[in-house]
Amino acid sequence: MEANEDAMLRKFRKELNAGTVSLVLLAIMDRSADPLYGYQIAKSIQVATPDGAPLKQGTLYPVLRSMEENGLLVSRVEPSVSGPPRKYYSITDHGRAVFEQWRGAWSHTRDFVDSILEGNVG
Amino acid sequence: MDRTVEGYLAQLRQQLAGSDPALTQDALYDAEEYLRSALAEAHDHPAEAFDSAVEAYGTPEEIAASYRGAELTVRAALKPPAPRSNRSPLSRFFGVAADPAAWGALFYMILAFATGIAYFTIVVTGLSLTAGLLILIVGIPFALLFLAVVRAVSFAEGRIVEGLLGVRMPRRPRNVGVQGDLWTRVKSWFTDYRTWTTMLYMLLQLPLGIIYFTVLVTGFATSVATIMLPAIQEAADSPVIRIGEYGYLIEPWAYPLLVVCGLLGLVVMLWIARGIGYMHGAYAKAMLVGTVEQGQQWAADAATSQTSASSQSTAGDAPGGGN
Repeated sequence: MEANEDAMLRKFRKELNAGTVSLVLLAIMDRSADPLYGYQIAKSIQVATPDGAPLKQGTLYPVLRSMEENGLLVSRVEPSVSGPPRKYYSITDHGRAVFEQWRGAWSHTRDFVDSILEGNVG
Repeated sequence: MDRTVEGYLAQLRQQLAGSDPALTQDALYDAEEYLRSALAEAHDHPAEAFDSAVEAYGTPEEIAASYRGAELTVRAALKPPAPRSNRSPLSRFFGVAADPAAWGALFYMILAFATGIAYFTIVVTGLSLTAGLLILIVGIPFALLFLAVVRAVSFAEGRIVEGLLGVRMPRRPRNVGVQGDLWTRVKSWFTDYRTWTTMLYMLLQLPLGIIYFTVLVTGFATSVATIMLPAIQEAADSPVIRIGEYGYLIEPWAYPLLVVCGLLGLVVMLWIARGIGYMHGAYAKAMLVGTVEQGQQWAADAATSQTSASSQSTAGDAPGGGN
């Protein structure tokens, strides 16, 4: 039974992350003055959450790619001494506009879920 | 687990065995970028740094599962809606006119003529100049430049093929997971057999491009001419078909027949384009990325070399990635 609960928790986390990862990434890119590459972005999430973020950093890269395809981010590639060339991302104006909207949607959802969880309704 | 970036990549490759090789290439590229960046920051305790980097990034199992899952979602999103299966053969035959794959392939056939000329010129110029200049010192940087261009073309052509022919191609450039200084990495370009199959692909693109272009132009010109014949004959008021000194008039009852034949010719051309696009997509993937079977073979090789390497290095505790 416990294994089942574990699996359920993992699935729930995954579903939650699916929606929030893009928002988190947009927030980081919005705040950053300089273009960032994948590892730096992952690192800044790690630094911001000392208890450990509820996601594996390996899941960030594909999200960054698809955000670029959707025009939220732009990138340029620079060679690196330590490994493969790095992709430096920065946010577009479209990305900023989308971020503002998403931020509103997020706080709305958060308030809604909180209010239900705290039992103010019903 | 062998606590090196190479070991991690080999494991990830094993986990992804059987998946699309283009997906494997993308996943390996991302993992390598992350792990190498993480290790480059930690100077004193490479082994511990490696463990915490893997802890944060995800184990090969987790990453493989996540990329597989994302691929399914993306593929479902990109896939055009499946045509209704209960259509009659006739409507299936004409339905090709609404098939984006046919039009993409058609455009690719035109483009292949231009890219074929460019690729062929690059390879022939590159090879002959490299061979000629190699006795001088400038030959070496020139050879490197040439190989870099070949790798860039491999990636760019992959993007064209994915865009027009709908075959999943890598979305990251190829990196063979070689660690070390610039020289080691450049050396890996020569030993990577993809470099050489890409060069062959670039050479063959010229004859293929000529064939595709010729087939396309001939097919369309013939079809359009057949459709236009009756109208031209009416307008010119003289026989349009001329063989030697004789002119042949088309009987008016044959007008609709000719138009129908020409239209059928256009539809058949679309089918031919679709078929060529399908075959060229598979061929480009085999030449530029590899097949699923090759990926499995590669993973198996990596696994065996990995076990022998780690059994040798157990005495001295597995060294971390030392850069």
